[in-house]
Amino acid sequence: MGYRPSPEGDGASAISAKIVIAGGFGVGKTTFVGSVSEVPTLSTEALMTEVSAPVDDLEETPDKTTTTVAMDFGRITLDSELVLYLFGTPGQPRFWFMWDDLVRGALGAVILVDTRRLSDCFPAVNYFENDCDVPFIIAVNQFDDAPVYPLEEVREALAVGPNVPIVNCDAREGVDARGVLTEAIKHALAVTG
Amino acid sequence: MRRILIVGSGQSGLQLALSLQEQDYEVTVISARTPEEIRNARVTSTQVMFDTALQHERDHGLNLWEPETPQIKRKHLSATAPDGTRFVNWHGDFSAYAQSVDQRVKMATWLEMFQDRGGNVIIHPASVSDLDGLARLYDLTIVAAGRGELVDMFDRDPTRSRFTGPQRSVAIVYTHGLAPEDPDITIIGINLIGGHGELYIMPGLTHTGPCDILYVSAIPGGPLDRFGDSPGPREQLDRTVALFEEYAPWERDRFAGVRITDERSNLTGRVNPMVRKPVGRLPSGGAVLGMADVVVVNDPIAGQGANNASKCAASYLTSIVEHGDRPFDEEFMTATFERYWEYAQFSTRWSNTLLAPPEPHVLEVLAAGNTNPAVGDRITNGFNNPEDYTNFLFEEDKARAYLASLGQPAA
Amino acid sequence: MTNNSRKSARVRPYLVTGGRTRSRRPLLLETLISVVEFDPALEKTLIPESWRIYELCRSRQSVAEISTRLKLPLGVVRVLVCDLSDQGRVRVHATSIDSEQDQRDLLERVLRGLQTIS
Repeated sequence: MGYRPSPEGDGASAISAKIVIAGGFGVGKTTFVGSVSEVPTLSTEALMTEVSAPVDDLEETPDKTTTTVAMDFGRITLDSELVLYLFGTPGQPRFWFMWDDLVRGALGAVILVDTRRLSDCFPAVNYFENDCDVPFIIAVNQFDDAPVYPLEEVREALAVGPNVPIVNCDAREGVDARGVLTEAIKHALAVTG
Repeated sequence: MRRILIVGSGQSGLQLALSLQEQDYEVTVISARTPEEIRNARVTSTQVMFDTALQHERDHGLNLWEPETPQIKRKHLSATAPDGTRFVNWHGDFSAYAQSVDQRVKMATWLEMFQDRGGNVIIHPASVSDLDGLARLYDLTIVAAGRGELVDMFDRDPTRSRFTGPQRSVAIVYTHGLAPEDPDITIIGINLIGGHGELYIMPGLTHTGPCDILYVSAIPGGPLDRFGDSPGPREQLDRTVALFEEYAPWERDRFAGVRITDERSNLTGRVNPMVRKPVGRLPSGGAVLGMADVVVVNDPIAGQGANNASKCAASYLTSIVEHGDRPFDEEFMTATFERYWEYAQFSTRWSNTLLAPPEPHVLEVLAAGNTNPAVGDRITNGFNNPEDYTNFLFEEDKARAYLASLGQPAA
Repeated sequence: MTNNSRKSARVRPYLVTGGRTRSRRPLLLETLISVVEFDPALEKTLIPESWRIYELCRSRQSVAEISTRLKLPLGVVRVLVCDLSDQGRVRVHATSIDSEQDQRDLLERVLRGLQTIS
């Protein structure tokens, strides 16, 4: 793995920022992060204990297993003193307490959508609409074999308001992904007083 | 200086952290939220605390809101049979007042106080891997995050757990503008709705001043169980008021000016009551000690949660200090929990007694309060010290003897 | 309701202790950490994990990168970085949540950056 060393000046005024990439499992979050990151996608992992639901009331000690929750992230050095990080949300939507940590301080968020499995992104939409203050946009990741829908139909199906921008993209293409990030920042600027 | 790590920033974790800090322990608190986030979050509880728990806070100067918080001096208990007959209706007086301070207000400020006094606060959602790496850097690691996933590290103790699943659906909303039952004295209202659940009115203090917390405790699937769709706070308040009007119509005239306190003033969910084993085992072999609702989870039906958290913190503080410089090994952890359980067992039993279908002798003691004020006072003060119920309420023979001593007819 | 108006509605006057400037902001996943002045003698005094973090941060790293590269859980990294920062060994750089940081300026800077790279 070839990490590019961070550019060093005196460095005291260096600052970092973050955009969160959310969406359902397999929607292309890691692909998206990888297509714009200047380093190979990194991943940080946490072990979680998972208790399976008891099969019946007589079962006194449910099975416990350990699950690994991974967050993928990438980096874009915007200038010698400004680094932008992109963090993908963990695939398992139930670890909400990790989402709070992930979005803390984020400039904006992108919810990636696969039109073939629209409902997979509902938990993310609910989270950004109700439980957090980070401005978000919707990006439809246009898979090759997926039907193309007008964006306003997607908006209706997701039940998001007219103030939330919706854009198309191909998460594999760095140019597209950068365009989506640009839209997310423009939206954040629009809602910042 | 001994190093102690506390995971969790609620009543038990922060009370223990602040009181250990007074005694020259080096304490680190891991909180999933910043003080500001706690302050702006959704409500977490009804958190009524009775005198013993309040006194633990006073002992350490943590009662910052005591002057402006309503002093609950009286309890109004009402019970209706499944056919709607109201067969219990009395007031009982607390020998010392109870209070409820919104935990969003209290925990945010306590966390800041802890930090201002030199405490180390790490904002992080702790996972098992974190504890695995951290526990060996500290002399003692305590898990006090009852709502996180870390509780699953602690095994359920089947010998001490009466139920195997949630017994009530809980719906709480904080309000302003409720008319007081009595303008001269602050009263907590408890309405037992036979066969369906319970309806409560609990005076407290929130960000915007004194408030009343309306709490619907519903037997799942019954007519009070109306909040499964997690409605917004206004909708929840409307449905709550409608339930009071139908099932506790004597409260009807109080709701004309009622409104929610804020956009995050409501909470819905279910609690799975259980007792767990107190020592959590880490993948690399280390041990951590669970506290308060990590290890003893009660349904909020008897308002014991915040009291137990405070009492557990006080009990653990004593055990830790008495242990001196000896290692905080598994034996210490087990003994520390057992000392707390000597008290907590009665709180759990009281909560479970109210959850289960009522036994005739319990109903008869409750009804005896209609004609004998001393009975109402004793039941009321049992919320502060549930051990007393072993003397006159839990067991049928003792309840009968108690009723006989009052000159009540024993059925 | 937009995100923006929701945010302003959540500022409540009563019982808020606000106005105090807290000396310590939370360490975010993206917070950059760098060594102020590298001192090889610290290898003898720091615990091994802290030393590895200290060594790695001779070049600027985010908290998340430290966790990934050293295979240390994030919570461990946050605790040890706080300790190193308290001892004055590492510098904790600014992020969007620092009060002196104008959010609008930062957004515009990021926007310019994204539009410039290709």
